[in-house]
Amino acid sequence: MAADFACKTIDPSNPTGPKVDAIFPGDYTLRLYKYSRVDYENLRAARHVLEHAERVFFGVREFNEGGWCYTGRPIEWYVKEGVVASFPDNLIFAVYLNPNMRVYECRAEYVAPDNARCPKDWQKRYGGLTWKSTS
Amino acid sequence: MEKHFLADMMEGEGEPTFRAEPWYNAYGDCIVYKVADEAFVADRVDEWLTVYNSAVDGRAIGFQIKGVRAIITKFGLDGLAVSWKADAGCVQEISIMALLLAAYEQGPRTLSRRRAYAAAMESPAKRRTISADELQPA
Repeated sequence: MAADFACKTIDPSNPTGPKVDAIFPGDYTLRLYKYSRVDYENLRAARHVLEHAERVFFGVREFNEGGWCYTGRPIEWYVKEGVVASFPDNLIFAVYLNPNMRVYECRAEYVAPDNARCPKDWQKRYGGLTWKSTS
Repeated sequence: MEKHFLADMMEGEGEPTFRAEPWYNAYGDCIVYKVADEAFVADRVDEWLTVYNSAVDGRAIGFQIKGVRAIITKFGLDGLAVSWKADAGCVQEISIMALLLAAYEQGPRTLSRRRAYAAAMESPAKRRTISADELQPA
Protein backbone atom coordinates (compact mmCIF):
# COMPACT_ATOMS: atom_id res chain seq x y z
CA MET A 1 0.00 0.00 0.00
CA ALA A 2 1.37 3.40 -0.97
CA ALA A 3 1.88 5.89 1.82
CA ASP A 4 0.10 9.20 2.14
CA PHE A 5 1.87 12.20 0.62
CA ALA A 6 1.71 15.65 2.19
CA CYS A 7 2.35 18.99 0.57
CA LYS A 8 2.15 22.44 2.07
CA THR A 9 -0.74 24.70 1.19
CA ILE A 10 -2.68 27.67 2.49
CA ASP A 11 -4.59 26.99 5.69
CA PRO A 12 -8.19 27.54 4.62
CA SER A 13 -9.18 28.30 8.21
CA ASN A 14 -6.37 30.83 8.64
CA PRO A 15 -5.16 31.89 5.17
CA THR A 16 -2.62 34.42 6.46
CA GLY A 17 -1.14 31.99 8.98
CA PRO A 18 1.39 29.21 8.54
CA LYS A 19 0.83 26.75 5.73
CA VAL A 20 -0.67 23.37 6.53
CA ASP A 21 -0.47 19.88 5.08
CA ALA A 22 -2.78 18.79 2.31
CA ILE A 23 -2.76 15.00 2.12
CA PHE A 24 -2.86 12.87 -0.99
CA PRO A 25 -4.18 9.61 0.53
CA GLY A 26 -2.06 6.61 -0.40
CA ASP A 27 -4.99 4.40 -1.37
CA TYR A 28 -6.40 7.15 -3.59
CA THR A 29 -3.14 7.82 -5.43
CA LEU A 30 -2.44 4.10 -5.74
CA ARG A 31 -5.80 3.54 -7.36
CA LEU A 32 -5.12 6.27 -9.89
CA TYR A 33 -1.66 4.88 -10.56
CA LYS A 34 -2.91 1.37 -11.18
CA TYR A 35 -6.15 2.01 -13.05
CA SER A 36 -6.33 5.61 -14.29
CA ARG A 37 -2.91 6.66 -15.44
CA VAL A 38 -3.84 10.04 -16.93
CA ASP A 39 -5.44 11.10 -13.66
CA TYR A 40 -2.36 9.87 -11.82
CA GLU A 41 -0.11 11.98 -14.05
CA ASN A 42 -2.31 15.00 -13.43
CA LEU A 43 -1.67 14.75 -9.70
CA ARG A 44 1.34 16.85 -10.64
CA ALA A 45 -1.05 19.60 -11.69
CA ALA A 46 -2.98 19.11 -8.44
CA ARG A 47 0.15 19.51 -6.35
CA HIS A 48 1.08 22.65 -8.31
CA VAL A 49 -2.36 24.12 -7.62
CA LEU A 50 -2.15 23.36 -3.89
CA GLU A 51 1.27 24.97 -3.69
CA HIS A 52 0.33 27.94 -5.90
CA ALA A 53 -3.38 28.36 -5.25
CA GLU A 54 -5.15 31.34 -6.77
CA ARG A 55 -8.51 30.84 -5.04
CA VAL A 56 -9.82 28.78 -2.12
CA PHE A 57 -13.54 28.13 -1.76
CA PHE A 58 -15.48 26.67 1.17
CA GLY A 59 -18.73 24.73 1.37
CA VAL A 60 -18.19 22.55 -1.68
CA ARG A 61 -20.82 19.90 -1.08
CA GLU A 62 -24.54 20.00 -0.47
CA PHE A 63 -24.67 16.77 1.54
CA ASN A 64 -21.25 16.60 3.13
CA GLU A 65 -20.19 19.08 5.78
CA GLY A 66 -17.13 21.19 5.18
CA GLY A 67 -14.56 20.69 2.48
CA TRP A 68 -12.55 22.99 0.29
CA CYS A 69 -11.80 23.69 -3.34
CA TYR A 70 -8.42 25.09 -4.35
CA THR A 71 -8.08 26.42 -7.87
CA GLY A 72 -5.12 27.44 -9.95
CA ARG A 73 -3.51 27.11 -13.31
CA PRO A 74 -0.82 24.53 -14.02
CA ILE A 75 1.52 25.29 -16.89
CA GLU A 76 0.84 21.97 -18.57
CA TRP A 77 -1.15 18.82 -18.09
CA TYR A 78 -1.26 15.24 -19.27
CA VAL A 79 -4.01 14.85 -21.90
CA LYS A 80 -3.66 11.19 -22.87
CA GLU A 81 -0.97 8.56 -22.93
CA GLY A 82 2.26 10.14 -24.08
CA VAL A 83 0.69 13.56 -24.74
CA VAL A 84 1.48 16.59 -22.60
CA ALA A 85 -0.07 19.93 -23.55
CA SER A 86 -0.25 23.48 -22.30
CA PHE A 87 -3.12 23.95 -19.89
CA PRO A 88 -5.94 25.69 -21.84
CA ASP A 89 -6.89 29.29 -21.09
CA ASN A 90 -10.60 28.48 -20.91
CA LEU A 91 -10.12 25.99 -18.06
CA ILE A 92 -9.13 26.15 -14.41
CA PHE A 93 -7.72 23.24 -12.42
CA ALA A 94 -9.62 22.45 -9.23
CA VAL A 95 -8.46 20.32 -6.30
CA TYR A 96 -11.10 19.24 -3.80
CA LEU A 97 -10.26 18.39 -0.18
CA ASN A 98 -12.50 16.99 2.50
CA PRO A 99 -12.69 18.55 5.98
CA ASN A 100 -9.70 16.43 7.03
CA MET A 101 -7.61 18.04 4.26
CA ARG A 102 -7.58 14.81 2.26
CA VAL A 103 -7.51 15.29 -1.51
CA TYR A 104 -10.35 13.45 -3.18
CA GLU A 105 -10.81 15.01 -6.63
CA CYS A 106 -8.46 16.74 -9.06
CA ARG A 107 -9.90 18.01 -12.31
CA ALA A 108 -10.17 20.69 -14.93
CA GLU A 109 -13.32 22.79 -15.01
CA TYR A 110 -14.66 25.49 -17.29
CA VAL A 111 -13.87 29.00 -16.09
CA ALA A 112 -16.51 31.49 -15.03
CA PRO A 113 -17.34 33.96 -17.80
CA ASP A 114 -16.71 36.89 -15.48
CA ASN A 115 -13.59 35.57 -13.73
CA ALA A 116 -11.00 33.33 -15.35
CA ARG A 117 -9.62 32.27 -11.98
CA CYS A 118 -12.89 30.78 -10.75
CA PRO A 119 -14.84 27.73 -11.91
CA LYS A 120 -18.11 28.27 -13.75
CA ASP A 121 -21.09 28.92 -11.45
CA TRP A 122 -18.88 29.20 -8.39
CA GLN A 123 -21.31 31.63 -6.75
CA LYS A 124 -24.07 29.00 -6.80
CA ARG A 125 -21.94 25.93 -6.15
CA TYR A 126 -19.87 26.89 -3.14
CA GLY A 127 -20.50 28.45 0.23
CA GLY A 128 -18.16 31.25 -0.75
CA LEU A 129 -14.61 32.41 -1.33
CA THR A 130 -12.20 31.91 1.57
CA TRP A 131 -9.07 33.33 0.02
CA LYS A 132 -7.76 34.78 -3.22
CA SER A 133 -4.30 35.50 -4.48
CA THR A 134 -3.38 39.14 -4.85
CA SER A 135 -0.58 38.44 -7.33
CA MET B 1 8.02 15.55 -17.97
CA GLU B 2 10.10 15.34 -14.85
CA LYS B 3 9.87 12.37 -12.52
CA HIS B 4 6.50 12.05 -10.80
CA PHE B 5 6.61 13.09 -7.15
CA LEU B 6 4.94 9.79 -6.18
CA ALA B 7 7.09 7.57 -8.40
CA ASP B 8 9.17 6.15 -5.57
CA MET B 9 6.02 5.26 -3.61
CA MET B 10 4.62 3.37 -6.58
CA GLU B 11 7.64 1.16 -7.11
CA GLY B 12 6.70 -2.49 -7.06
CA GLU B 13 2.98 -1.82 -7.62
CA GLY B 14 3.02 -3.47 -11.00
CA GLU B 15 2.18 -2.33 -14.50
CA PRO B 16 -0.71 0.18 -14.66
CA THR B 17 -3.77 -0.97 -16.59
CA PHE B 18 -6.73 1.29 -17.24
CA ARG B 19 -9.97 0.00 -15.73
CA ALA B 20 -13.30 1.29 -17.02
CA GLU B 21 -15.33 0.53 -13.94
CA PRO B 22 -17.12 2.49 -11.24
CA TRP B 23 -15.37 2.88 -7.90
CA TYR B 24 -16.28 4.49 -4.62
CA ASN B 25 -14.03 7.31 -3.50
CA ALA B 26 -14.33 7.17 0.28
CA TYR B 27 -12.64 10.54 0.83
CA GLY B 28 -15.20 12.34 -1.29
CA ASP B 29 -18.21 10.08 -0.70
CA CYS B 30 -18.67 9.81 -4.45
CA ILE B 31 -18.73 7.19 -7.18
CA VAL B 32 -16.38 7.87 -10.07
CA TYR B 33 -16.73 6.27 -13.46
CA LYS B 34 -14.50 6.84 -16.49
CA VAL B 35 -14.57 4.82 -19.68
CA ALA B 36 -11.45 6.32 -21.30
CA ASP B 37 -8.00 7.05 -19.96
CA GLU B 38 -7.97 10.69 -21.05
CA ALA B 39 -7.90 14.03 -19.31
CA PHE B 40 -11.37 15.37 -18.73
CA VAL B 41 -13.20 18.60 -18.08
CA ALA B 42 -15.76 18.33 -15.31
CA ASP B 43 -19.17 19.81 -16.08
CA ARG B 44 -21.25 20.02 -12.92
CA VAL B 45 -24.90 19.28 -13.58
CA ASP B 46 -26.28 19.60 -10.05
CA GLU B 47 -25.50 18.67 -6.43
CA TRP B 48 -25.43 14.96 -7.31
CA LEU B 49 -24.05 14.58 -10.83
CA THR B 50 -20.94 15.85 -12.59
CA VAL B 51 -20.27 14.75 -16.17
CA TYR B 52 -16.73 14.22 -17.41
CA ASN B 53 -16.06 15.42 -20.97
CA SER B 54 -12.92 14.35 -22.79
CA ALA B 55 -10.28 17.06 -23.06
CA VAL B 56 -9.28 15.43 -26.35
CA ASP B 57 -12.52 15.67 -28.31
CA GLY B 58 -15.27 16.79 -25.93
CA ARG B 59 -17.24 13.53 -25.82
CA ALA B 60 -18.68 12.35 -22.52
CA ILE B 61 -16.29 9.80 -20.99
CA GLY B 62 -17.64 9.42 -17.50
CA PHE B 63 -19.35 10.89 -14.52
CA GLN B 64 -19.26 11.35 -10.77
CA ILE B 65 -22.19 10.73 -8.43
CA LYS B 66 -21.83 12.80 -5.25
CA GLY B 67 -23.47 12.49 -1.85
CA VAL B 68 -23.70 8.72 -2.11
CA ARG B 69 -24.35 8.21 1.59
CA ALA B 70 -27.18 10.73 1.49
CA ILE B 71 -28.78 8.91 -1.43
CA ILE B 72 -28.45 5.57 0.34
CA THR B 73 -29.85 7.04 3.55
CA LYS B 74 -32.88 8.30 1.69
CA PHE B 75 -33.57 5.30 -0.54
CA GLY B 76 -31.94 2.50 1.43
CA LEU B 77 -29.59 -0.08 0.00
CA ASP B 78 -32.58 -2.29 -0.71
CA GLY B 79 -33.96 0.32 -3.06
CA LEU B 80 -30.75 0.35 -5.08
CA ALA B 81 -29.80 -3.31 -4.91
CA VAL B 82 -29.38 -5.73 -7.76
CA SER B 83 -28.21 -8.71 -5.75
CA TRP B 84 -28.17 -9.99 -2.20
CA LYS B 85 -26.05 -12.43 -0.26
CA ALA B 86 -28.52 -15.24 0.09
CA ASP B 87 -27.12 -16.62 3.31
CA ALA B 88 -26.77 -13.34 5.19
CA GLY B 89 -29.75 -11.59 3.60
CA CYS B 90 -27.75 -8.43 2.99
CA VAL B 91 -27.23 -6.35 -0.10
CA GLN B 92 -24.24 -7.42 -2.18
CA GLU B 93 -24.33 -5.24 -5.29
CA ILE B 94 -26.04 -1.96 -6.01
CA SER B 95 -26.92 -0.56 -9.40
CA ILE B 96 -25.16 2.54 -10.70
CA MET B 97 -28.19 3.27 -12.87
CA ALA B 98 -30.48 3.07 -9.85
CA LEU B 99 -28.20 5.53 -8.05
CA LEU B 100 -28.38 7.88 -11.03
CA LEU B 101 -32.16 7.62 -11.11
CA ALA B 102 -32.36 8.25 -7.37
CA ALA B 103 -30.15 11.32 -7.77
CA TYR B 104 -32.26 12.56 -10.66
CA GLU B 105 -35.45 12.26 -8.63
CA GLN B 106 -34.12 14.70 -6.06
CA GLY B 107 -33.85 17.72 -8.32
CA PRO B 108 -36.06 19.73 -10.65
CA ARG B 109 -37.27 17.99 -13.80
CA THR B 110 -35.58 20.27 -16.29
CA LEU B 111 -34.55 19.48 -19.83
CA SER B 112 -30.87 20.11 -19.12
CA ARG B 113 -30.87 17.72 -16.17
CA ARG B 114 -32.75 15.06 -18.10
CA ARG B 115 -30.25 15.28 -20.95
CA ALA B 116 -27.25 15.12 -18.65
CA TYR B 117 -28.56 12.12 -16.70
CA ALA B 118 -29.48 10.37 -19.93
CA ALA B 119 -25.97 10.94 -21.25
CA ALA B 120 -24.51 9.49 -18.07
CA MET B 121 -26.74 6.43 -18.34
CA GLU B 122 -25.73 5.92 -21.96
CA SER B 123 -22.06 5.60 -21.07
CA PRO B 124 -20.68 2.43 -22.62
CA ALA B 125 -20.50 0.71 -19.29
CA LYS B 126 -18.80 -2.64 -18.95
CA ARG B 127 -19.77 -2.83 -15.32
CA ARG B 128 -23.00 -1.29 -14.03
CA THR B 129 -22.89 -2.29 -10.38
CA ILE B 130 -20.69 -1.65 -7.39
CA SER B 131 -20.20 -3.77 -4.32
CA ALA B 132 -22.13 -2.52 -1.33
CA ASP B 133 -19.14 -3.39 0.85
CA GLU B 134 -17.10 -0.69 -0.91
CA LEU B 135 -19.42 2.10 0.16
CA GLN B 136 -17.72 2.98 3.44
CA PRO B 137 -16.73 6.65 3.85
CA ALA B 138 -13.20 7.40 5.04
